[in-house]
Amino acid sequence: MAGGSGGMSLPERAKRGKISKRKKKKRIGFHLDMTPLVDITFLLLTFFMFTTTMAAPQVMEMSIPPELLLNVEVKESELMTITVRGDGKIFWNIGTDEPEVVELKKLRELAERENLKPTVRNKLITSLKVSPEASYGLVVNILDELNLAEVKITEVIGTEKDEEGNPMKRKRKFTLANFTPDDAKLIGEDTLKLGGRK
Amino acid sequence: MPKVKKKRISFVIDMTPLVDITFLLLTFFMFTAKFKTEAESEQKFFIQRPQVTADTSKLPERDLAIIKVAIETDSVTNITDTTMYYEIVNEIDRATVWAQVKDFARTEKALMRVGTIDSNSLNMMSHLVKNTILTNPKTRFAIDADKRLQYKWIWTIMNDVMRKNRATVFNFVTQKKGA
Repeated sequence: MAGGSGGMSLPERAKRGKISKRKKKKRIGFHLDMTPLVDITFLLLTFFMFTTTMAAPQVMEMSIPPELLLNVEVKESELMTITVRGDGKIFWNIGTDEPEVVELKKLRELAERENLKPTVRNKLITSLKVSPEASYGLVVNILDELNLAEVKITEVIGTEKDEEGNPMKRKRKFTLANFTPDDAKLIGEDTLKLGGRK
Repeated sequence: MPKVKKKRISFVIDMTPLVDITFLLLTFFMFTAKFKTEAESEQKFFIQRPQVTADTSKLPERDLAIIKVAIETDSVTNITDTTMYYEIVNEIDRATVWAQVKDFARTEKALMRVGTIDSNSLNMMSHLVKNTILTNPKTRFAIDADKRLQYKWIWTIMNDVMRKNRATVFNFVTQKKGA
């Protein structure tokens, strides 16, 4: 089938001498039946095509400080807290302001806006406090949104110059903080539990 | 004289380019194919990884230790069981670490069940992580947890297992959105 037809055989030469009754054909080319080879090749191809998975798992890098119980004093105005309630609602506030609800989809925009405010630019500390009841998937989604926001923040800050005229470098300050009963009270988690949530 | 009309019965298609391409594709898929690792074939549970936007960072292939946290749910969505597993990719390290643990000694498994998550199993996990670091300080750690898991367990693992052993840089295993 696949050997190609007749490409290999040469044109017949004019024969000299006696012409015998039977023509002796000299075999020059030969035909090889490629069918089984191609069959097997296709089989293997299909096998490898179906078994290959292109979507390998990827990773999100985390670094945590070596000490948990180490108090660092920061300016209230330079601290943005994102708090996650057990039912998945996300709240945010600056310093000791009243927490406000924010949608997961809006988080990126919010992080960009707050981080690029001229007064706290490159100084803002993001602190993430997550209720023990919240799901791990949501936390990773929030981290992902914050990572995405970092792209624009780094870009904008990178275009600015410091006093010496060198381009500014983005210093990201992020922490996963302990979720205290006070935090729970602030976002109304304790009343939520009393409300008979399963 | 009328021309004798030859009836065409068969025809020939040149298959050469087809076979060429097929071989090319075959070679490509053969070289890119990655087979399941030992631990993956031992793994009886399925972890729903959290989905994040596409990134180029991939799980390291060598000197890797993975803490897996799998959950079991009843027919609804309530979590009935949360179990920790531990995997060391590097075979030599694995043998050394397993040998130091009484329950795991002389097993050939790549993936060990540490137990339902509680203070005992967390201690055990911490012990394993400590031994892994002592065996191979270059080991990188990854946490592969189900996205439905309660955050408190991740927080506990981060504090009582990772931070305690000074493994402060680690990875969360995630999956590309839409994959």
